[in-house]
Amino acid sequence: MIPVEHYVALSALLFTVGGVGFLVRRNVLVTLMSLEIMLNAVNLALVAFNRQATHVGAHTGQIFAFFIIAAEAAEVAVGLAIVISLFRIRRTVRSDEADLLKN
Amino acid sequence: MMALAFVLSPLLILALGALLLMLAEALTPKQNRAAGLALGATIVFVAGFAFSVGAWLYGVEDVAERELLAPWLVIDRFTIFFDGLFCLGGALAALLAGGYLREHGLERGEFYGLLIFSTIGGMMVAAAGDALMVFIGLETMSIGAYALTAFRRTSPRSAEGALKYFLLGSFAAAILLYGFALLYGATGHTDLVGIGNAIRAGGQHQTMILVALVLVLVGLVFKVSAVPFHMWAPDAYEGAPTPATTYMAAVVKCGAFAMLLRVLLTCFSDQGLMSWAAGWPPVLAWIAVLTMTVANLIAGQQESVKRMLAYSSIAHAGYLLVGVVATIHSMGTATASVLFYLLTYTVSTAGAFGALILCGRKGAEAVSYEDLAGIGRRHPAAALAFSLFLVSLAGIPPTAGFFGKWFIFRAAIDAGFYALTIIAFFNSVIAAYYYLRVLVFMYMREPAAGAPIATPMRSGYVATALVVSAILVIALGVVPSLPLDVAVEASEKTFAAPGG
Repeated sequence: MIPVEHYVALSALLFTVGGVGFLVRRNVLVTLMSLEIMLNAVNLALVAFNRQATHVGAHTGQIFAFFIIAAEAAEVAVGLAIVISLFRIRRTVRSDEADLLKN
Repeated sequence: MMALAFVLSPLLILALGALLLMLAEALTPKQNRAAGLALGATIVFVAGFAFSVGAWLYGVEDVAERELLAPWLVIDRFTIFFDGLFCLGGALAALLAGGYLREHGLERGEFYGLLIFSTIGGMMVAAAGDALMVFIGLETMSIGAYALTAFRRTSPRSAEGALKYFLLGSFAAAILLYGFALLYGATGHTDLVGIGNAIRAGGQHQTMILVALVLVLVGLVFKVSAVPFHMWAPDAYEGAPTPATTYMAAVVKCGAFAMLLRVLLTCFSDQGLMSWAAGWPPVLAWIAVLTMTVANLIAGQQESVKRMLAYSSIAHAGYLLVGVVATIHSMGTATASVLFYLLTYTVSTAGAFGALILCGRKGAEAVSYEDLAGIGRRHPAAALAFSLFLVSLAGIPPTAGFFGKWFIFRAAIDAGFYALTIIAFFNSVIAAYYYLRVLVFMYMREPAAGAPIATPMRSGYVATALVVSAILVIALGVVPSLPLDVAVEASEKTFAAPGG
């Protein structure tokens, strides 16, 4: 069996990739993808931890992951609606071109 | 079962009310739909508030069926306090929306449904006893708030504010979740009490717990919009329609603080992590200093009153964090000071945004300081209400804001944080500058020649919201003892015994 540490290392890597992607990319759609990668890293970590010896028989981590998937779908639905509404007005999906609000 | 339904009633009433309102919106003819929905939403919130008071008087300690909901929802005095507070903030936002949406031609019924469902999310956050419930509640609250921010569909500012709010809010939620996932890995628990006990018992995963603490702290601090994680707040507050801003500044911020208190004081309250030498209190203290100072300095430079109020709301998060840091000394009293401050802040900030709404008309929304010039002479009632709320935000007696600050500072002094208290005090002096600047414009300036002259709108809803807030601001400033007793009871019965 692959030890839990490997999964956790992969999950940490994914989370970092997602986080860096979120911070450096300016296309909102790519930013949304980065967010998805971060949340999938969370799911992977939860499911991996669920396999640890002390948690045999309990499925909290796996159930948690399902809830994250469901809530995430709702969140992205609203997020994409906001992106579309911005695109209709400004004709852009780049976050650095949305710059009306500043002091 | 009846007793359980009764202590849960604020949540249940809001859920039922929101469903009925959406049904009513679909079934009523278009022309007379509008005004009724705002009234309906207000009634739902007032009913929720009344039942919170009822549940409080009934008492939750003897309701054995509470165990059925454990560990997912914890129904205690802390929860009931926040239920009432959210209903109050929600009612004020609904009243303001009733006037604002009609005046600015935005009248669509979804606003009220979103408002109530989002408030339910806040109640879930305040009651959450498990990391999963924290997340679900937080998402329910935030998704509603994102949609409310984007409500003005034709405005690029509204869309842009919503985009920034959405992206950074989801980013914060992901960071918070990764922290929870690591805590689950380290302790084997997702319920907050279980995590807290496992951390107190010690174990081999100390590094992982520390990393998790950092991630959870970043997520929480993002959500309360403290510096350096505040970038989204001014843009979201400015872009949103003003009643949505009111809702975010009042209810969403209180929800974030409920989450912060619950998670920190339940999970991370052991001797090691909750100490001045190591752990979260010194980190939060630095964040509080940064938040107050940076927000107050930037707020002073704003030309837009709405944006100034947004920075002021960030600065208030700083004062509140001072109270959170003071929990290290006496958990019950310091938490009570935070709860009381949240109450005074809710009524003052809702009133201030309400007064800003009142000063604008369709096509001539009051935004900048210049827009308010001369309003004191031509419309004394509107200017008087605005002044009262700003004076309260500044913390000048005899208003609610004074006692809010007083109790926070006293808790900080009792905990021995003299430097922190002095910094907070000087910050409230700086803050007075930009609050009083509005008064200067209202009473001592005349509008520039040719500039559009602001005329207040006429709306029974907005007037009612302002009168209610004004009464509360003065009442809390003159007789703070009753609400303070309630806040003390809410926190001491919940957090007094560390790890209880």
